[in-house]
Amino acid sequence: MSNATCETVRDWIPEYASGRLAPLEVASVRSHLEDCSECRAELDLAMLILASRAEVPAGLARTVRAAVRSDRAHVHRPWWGIGAAAVAALALGIGMSSDGSEQVESAVPGYAFEIEDGDAWLSDDGLIAGAPDLDALSDEALLQFLDELNVGGAGGGV
Amino acid sequence: MRDDERSDAILSDEELVERARAGDDAALSDLVERHHGAAYRVAFSMLQDDDAAQDVVQDAFIKAFRALGGFRGDSSFRTWVLTIAGNQARGALRKRGRRKETALEDAGPMRSEQKAPDEEAVDAQEAVRARKMLERLPEKQKLSVTLRIEEGLSFKEIGEVIGSSEGAARVNYFHGIRRLRELMQ
Repeated sequence: MSNATCETVRDWIPEYASGRLAPLEVASVRSHLEDCSECRAELDLAMLILASRAEVPAGLARTVRAAVRSDRAHVHRPWWGIGAAAVAALALGIGMSSDGSEQVESAVPGYAFEIEDGDAWLSDDGLIAGAPDLDALSDEALLQFLDELNVGGAGGGV
Repeated sequence: MRDDERSDAILSDEELVERARAGDDAALSDLVERHHGAAYRVAFSMLQDDDAAQDVVQDAFIKAFRALGGFRGDSSFRTWVLTIAGNQARGALRKRGRRKETALEDAGPMRSEQKAPDEEAVDAQEAVRARKMLERLPEKQKLSVTLRIEEGLSFKEIGEVIGSSEGAARVNYFHGIRRLRELMQ
């Protein structure tokens, strides 16, 4: 049995499963796994999750880059460009939005999104607002919860 | 910067962000290249819809680059863009009105190869089953497990993405793992 505890090994399992763990730590994990069925089961689960990871569609990066470039070209259009476009639109009799919203056509045909007033896509602190289940707990309560997860049930020690 | 100068060094995200702010198109492309995969997997795990997830990734990067001037660097660019992708996906879910029920065979495109340090073969059927169970977890548990195992984020980074403390992210992760093991038995 290695000196690494179950708690340490479980923290390392994601890196171990994906081959990102440092060699010294890999040896420690392997040694621990020989004698710990609970940590082996957790590794097996991590491997299953990695094996079923969604494949990123080919060409997505290219599509995103094109959309971003198109958007930047639109947003950073020089003042004379905006003026010229407005004149051209008026000359052509093209109606313009009266509600102040901005319709942005992306590089992907048929795709567009609208910027809405008050669209709080990012909270003030840059974080997603979430259900206050665990967030309302103190650090002490969270540690107690972690102890229960590590010691009881599926998280049993060595 | 000339292309040959750029190829000499791998730039950090912070350096790329600085260059993108200054209008460097290549830096912007590099940031997309590095992080679009993680953003897609976050969106897909929440939406279970390939087209919708791709739209979310596109929106997330557009919004991130629009707001780059106000990016303070309190978090990494990666966690920032993943946070935006998560928010976009949540918005898409709200518009959809209900979560799409996922059939076993629709559990998402599978990786074609498994790069693991051990030589144990992973049972494909079990992997699909594990994915289906993962999709059933509460959102924060699911995202914590996904971001920790698939993307290698730290608990601090996961906390930033899901809007929780580092401790709460850790609890969400281990609680999710425990529930998954129970569901898999």
